[in-house]
Amino acid sequence: MTKNEIFQIVKKNTLEILPKVSEDMIMIDQRLKDLGANSIDRMDIVTQTMEDLAIKIPLVELAQVENIQELVDLLYEKKNSSHP
Amino acid sequence: MQRRIMITGMGVISAIGQNIPEYGQSLRAGRCGIGTLKSVGEPAISVTMGAEIGNFSLETRLQQYAFLPEALIQNAQQYARRSPYAIQTSVVSALEAWENAQLHENPISPERLGIVIAGNNLSQHYQYDNYPKFQQTPEYLSPRYPLHFMDTDQVGTLSELFHIQGEGFTVGGASASGNVAIIKGYQLIQLGIVDACLVVGALADLSPMELQGFYNLGAMGGKRFVDEPEKACRPFDKDHEGFIYGQASGCMILESKESAARRGVQGVAEILGGAMILDGNRLTNPSEAGEIRVMELALTQAQIKANELDYLNAHGTSSPLGDETEIKAIRQVFQDHLSRLWINSTKGLTGHCLYSAGVVEAIASIIQMQEGFVHPNINLDNPIDRACLFSGSVSAPEKIEIAMSNSFGFGGINSSIILKKGGE
Repeated sequence: MTKNEIFQIVKKNTLEILPKVSEDMIMIDQRLKDLGANSIDRMDIVTQTMEDLAIKIPLVELAQVENIQELVDLLYEKKNSSHP
Repeated sequence: MQRRIMITGMGVISAIGQNIPEYGQSLRAGRCGIGTLKSVGEPAISVTMGAEIGNFSLETRLQQYAFLPEALIQNAQQYARRSPYAIQTSVVSALEAWENAQLHENPISPERLGIVIAGNNLSQHYQYDNYPKFQQTPEYLSPRYPLHFMDTDQVGTLSELFHIQGEGFTVGGASASGNVAIIKGYQLIQLGIVDACLVVGALADLSPMELQGFYNLGAMGGKRFVDEPEKACRPFDKDHEGFIYGQASGCMILESKESAARRGVQGVAEILGGAMILDGNRLTNPSEAGEIRVMELALTQAQIKANELDYLNAHGTSSPLGDETEIKAIRQVFQDHLSRLWINSTKGLTGHCLYSAGVVEAIASIIQMQEGFVHPNINLDNPIDRACLFSGSVSAPEKIEIAMSNSFGFGGINSSIILKKGGE
């Protein structure tokens, strides 16, 4: 799975959880916070995306993530190192 | 000094009407909302019937309030669109009551507004639905789960939506929860803690496990009339055999007469008084003595004599022991007045709405007072008591000035409230 595919999944879940956000507002270098996501919304987006990708990331690793790019990188790394 | 407390707004969503006008029409027509249960799925359970709202969509319901401030409707959509069913239906009934009380046009200061939610264990179906996924992969449980599994999610969501900043909480009284909430809201205003209070009867979103539990306990009917669900709920009929589950949320705005007058709003009814007492009983059986005591206490609180009452909205769940006990208690309290006291049970039409029953039945009582009719007891073919003035198979025109509404719950919880027609 490519990083762009993962970004698309993050985007889909962001749109689902933040109804006031439109697709063209979501840029890879943005922070979810700046799109209006509170801490619960952010956890919701991440949890939903982990489920879609069938991976699990400990909370402590997610705490390091600063923006959507770093989230995608982390998800990409976990996805491609996981062995089904 | 005793304050006068009015009901200045009402809202409802039920199996027999998704707003007050629809609900009123169904009451008058004696339309029954009980049918084959659709929301059960696998595994199949012994309970096959109930009064479900059916085809509920928050978005569609919100469209009917398009004339309310746009921001209010947008917020309702945003806050509740991913919330459990019981929250969404509370939002819908509360919006109707809010509009009905003109609180969007003639507001009350947020600090003077309170909220009481009737019922507890309000998210059982939501929990049940989450459980299979949790067993599979606990990590994927929604981070919103802790928000939603607590009943105070109702308090939080509605208080944010309507800017309520006075006192607010949930109350539980089993099937008497609705009346308990009305009584607590009434007391908040009496004590001067708030000027107005939203009282919301929350929809009992039972999961298949709770339904089967009630069935195994022997509390549910629907066996003899298994192929005719609309005939299964038969309060006070010789063929009654237990309650039938119903879904509804109801909301009433309680408000001091001074506050209503300040806002230029006329109440649809007045709450003259109410009482709640316990039998000291952890089990399910009703108590004639407790029911007599609570009705008499409500009359005393309301400063009304038994013979001044025109109408009684009975608890009447269609369970043999419950119906018989209530009639015995009514006979004792009303004596010679029995032949002039209209009695019906709204549960024959709505099913037993459990936590919200007290609220949706108070609303039914008020609609009947406003419109001058007594709704039918559609399945009352052979009354268990011939001396009572039960309504028949069709509505009867009748001027009702003062009404009593009873609600009794498991755990020896008895409650009764007294309402007076508004408008003067």
